[in-house]
Parts: sequence; C-alpha cells; structure tokens
Amino acid sequence: MFPLPLLRVLALAAALQQSTPSATSPIAPPRDSGAAIRSITIDERLAAAAGLSVGDRVLLAPAAGAVGDSVVIAAITRRGADPSEVARSEYRVRLHLDHLETLTRSGDRVGRFAVQSREEADPSAVSAAINEAAFGFRAYPAAEVAVETSATFRVVNRFHRAIGVITIVASAIFLLCITLLKVDERRRDVGALRLIGMSRSSVVRAVVLEASLVSLIGSIMGAGLGWFASWVVNWYYQGVYATPLRFAIVTPSIVVFAVTLSLGLGVIAGLLAAQRLVRRAPLELIGR
Amino acid sequence: MREIVLAARDVRRDYPVVGEPVHAVRGISLDVAAGDWVAVVGPSGCGKSTLLNLLGAIDRPTAGSISIRGKDVARMNDAEATRFRLTGIGFVFQRFYLMPTLTASENVELPMSEAKVPRAQRVARARELLTYVGLGARADHRPYQLSGGEQQRVAIARALANQPALLLADEPTGELDARTGTEMIALFDRLNRDGTTIVTVTHDEELAQAARRVVHMKDGAIVDQVVRRPLGDDAPAARGATA
Repeated sequence: MFPLPLLRVLALAAALQQSTPSATSPIAPPRDSGAAIRSITIDERLAAAAGLSVGDRVLLAPAAGAVGDSVVIAAITRRGADPSEVARSEYRVRLHLDHLETLTRSGDRVGRFAVQSREEADPSAVSAAINEAAFGFRAYPAAEVAVETSATFRVVNRFHRAIGVITIVASAIFLLCITLLKVDERRRDVGALRLIGMSRSSVVRAVVLEASLVSLIGSIMGAGLGWFASWVVNWYYQGVYATPLRFAIVTPSIVVFAVTLSLGLGVIAGLLAAQRLVRRAPLELIGR
Repeated sequence: MREIVLAARDVRRDYPVVGEPVHAVRGISLDVAAGDWVAVVGPSGCGKSTLLNLLGAIDRPTAGSISIRGKDVARMNDAEATRFRLTGIGFVFQRFYLMPTLTASENVELPMSEAKVPRAQRVARARELLTYVGLGARADHRPYQLSGGEQQRVAIARALANQPALLLADEPTGELDARTGTEMIALFDRLNRDGTTIVTVTHDEELAQAARRVVHMKDGAIVDQVVRRPLGDDAPAARGATA
C-alpha cells in the first residue's frame, strides 16, 4: 500500500506539475486500466524512492488516514534536462484536475496552467487573444517564459564566458612565454645551424613547424582530456541529481575552436620566438 | 703550382668598445693552397678563433680582403655569407653541435637538405661519409647514444656533406680525451691526404704537429710559420693511431 505521508508530497508535486507539463516524457508505457479506476503518472524519481511501478494502485488523499481515491499508476515519466530543476528534490505526479483540487483543498482554483496551441498558430497572437478575452490572469508565450526563467542562466553563461576568455588569454601568454623560453634554450642548436649555413628563413620555418606540431598534438590531447573530464563530471552529477542533464559538454565545434586557437597561438609563438633568435648573430647564439 | 683556395690580405678586426677599440686581428695575410693543412696556434686571446670566424664568413673584417676560391667573403651580405658557409666551407666545432633529435645520418644530411640535394642522393652520401669516418654501423644512432669522439666524427662528416673547398676546425680535439683526440688527429690526417684542405685552430700540440704547416699567432698577428710537411708529402703524419 502507498505510504500515506507521501501523499502530501504527491499533492504538492502535483501542483508543481501543472506549470510545466511538457518537461516530462514517459519511460514506461501507459497501461489500459479500464473505466472503473482512474490513473495517474509519476516520475521515475518517485517511482524509485517509493518502489512503485506501472500498474500499482495508490491512494490519493489530502492527509494521512484521510479518505481518498484509489488510482492506478498508468505510466512512469522521465524529467527533461532542465537546468532550473536540477537542484530541486521534489517528485512529480500527473493527475486529474478534480484529484488535484481535492488534494489541495482549493476547488476551482489554479495558479498556472499551460495551453498548447496548434503548430501553425502564432504563440504571440494566441496569448494576445487570450489576454484580450480573459479576466484575472495573463497569458505568456512559452518562449517569453523561457527567456524570463533562464535569465539567471544567461548571467551564469556570461560569467562562464568571461572565465573562458580569461583562461584563454592567460594560457596564450603562458604558451608564448614557454615557447620563447624553450626556443631560447635551444639557441646553441640554432646558432650551430646558422653557422653551418642554414638560412634565417629555414630556421624560422623549422621552429614554427615544430611549435605548430606541438600545439596541434597538445590541443588534441587537451580535447581528449576535456572529453574524459566532462564524461566523469556528467556521470557523477547525473547520478547525484538523478537527471539526464549534461553538466559539461565537449562539442565538435568546441574541439575545432580549441585546436584552431591552439594552432594559431602556436604559430604566433613559434614565429615570435624564432624571429627573436635569428635576429641575433650566430656567434652570439653559441655564446662566443 | 697548386690552386690557392684561401687568400687573406692584411685582414684586420677591431671591436669597438668604450675607450680604445680592441684590435683582435692586426693585418694578417695568409695563403692556403689546395690540399694544405694549416694549424693556427697561440696563447688564449691571441685572435685565433677571431681569425677562423673571419676566414669562415661568420664575421666580417674591419679591413682587408678574404678570398676563398676567388670569392671575396669579406664583402658578402648576410644571406650570401650564409649560403657560402653552406656550400663553400665545412665547420667542425669543439662542442660538435649536433642536433640532438636527429640521427647521425640525418645530422649529416642536414646541410645537403638545406642545399636542396635530392633525398636519395643525400642519404647515399651521408652513409658514404659516415662509413668514411668509421661510423657506418651507427648511422641510425642519435647523438646521446654516441661517445664524444663518435659525435665529433659525425660533425666532420656533416662538415664534408656539401663537398666544401675548405674545412675549418675550431679546437676539434678540445672536448675529447687523449686517446680519442689521437684518433681524431688520424682522421684529419687521412682527410687531408685524401685531398681536403684544412685550417684548424688548436691548443693541442699533437694536432698542431700533425698539420703540414703551423702558424703561430700572438696579439692578433702571425709571428711565425713552420712548414712541417710540404704539399705532396703524403706520408701519414699522425702518430699512434690510424683513423
């Protein structure tokens, strides 16, 4: 039998469920339960916590020990990958409106509900029409709501971008300094090459080629490491928050950007380092 | 009459420093004929290495002329001098200066690659030169896998890669132990007997004794010249070892 204290949670969850009906998708198929008994759906988090499965019967009641209505679990739903819900630990239940009214003891009263328009309909026009006709509430297009609710994430996104830019600039300076130092460490080799007749352009080409190869291999290794790190992060946090949300992503465009940037920086660093060396006399390079 | 490979006339090299300039080389004139082996000796700071740098188109004289196979190296610009060092002169340094990431064979191929010698040709010549210096079996070894003497042999093979008119060696035995130094002298002797024109700067008395002609320098000038073996005398000069 369904534990009664959990029903209160179910009721609260049901109220929340009303606001975002499209954020869930069924993972267990609905079962035809017949006309005699009505059905609900629960999310997999609740199913796992309460040990419920499709076909189980539960009692919907506003309080423990109160009279309720027996319902059957028709489907188990999985949450969508919505970052705004990751940290929330509530359960989600879909139930009939009259059940919800009974549970919340607020008959004929809802806070929010969603209206799905036909695909060809313009959401802005639909919401304008509703607002014109309705009294006591306002309708918003889903895109507008999404923009409003994702404001925090846009700030976070900008913050991440800023961190990314700072990291790239700092890495570029670091890479440049390392390349200059590493090339300078080989000034004797370069001096010897110049003494035996290697032209300045040959030396520059060799240094730039080597720096480019190191950058290319380094960036590919870095992308591989990043992919592995993101896999570990996702594996860990998806488990912690029981969500399919991907917390870290390495997309092909990110890899292409990283490799291109690294290669560009490698070429520039190699060019600067090589130019710095070949400007000096060969004898000076070998320390004479 | 042998061809004069190197002709230096009244060569001077002054270094501008605060106060009085330093006169490193003071009006040196020197002829080196094809097939000759000249050892330049003298105390430290007498101008030996400066002279060698001038003869090798590494540095430019303040005055005078230096002609190698008829080309005035003193008047060459940097690009011309670099090209001339590549094809006209072979250098052997005290510290070998081999590329650590390349094999012995690749080190020898390097100047030929820069001179645009076709790959098959330069691989064959590198093998031939390494065999000549006694390292045919170690062509694929990297410098760190070779002893000091072996590295210097590779450096000599590299210096000969583009068949230069003149081989210049700056203290070629300076980093080697006595036995390896003797082996190196024997190799220079064989090179010379096979027709290579050599100018060495050295403190090594044994190396100087092996040369055909010894030029003594002091305070930037030549103070004495001793012909030990005239050109045409092809008896082995090095004692103790054969290359």
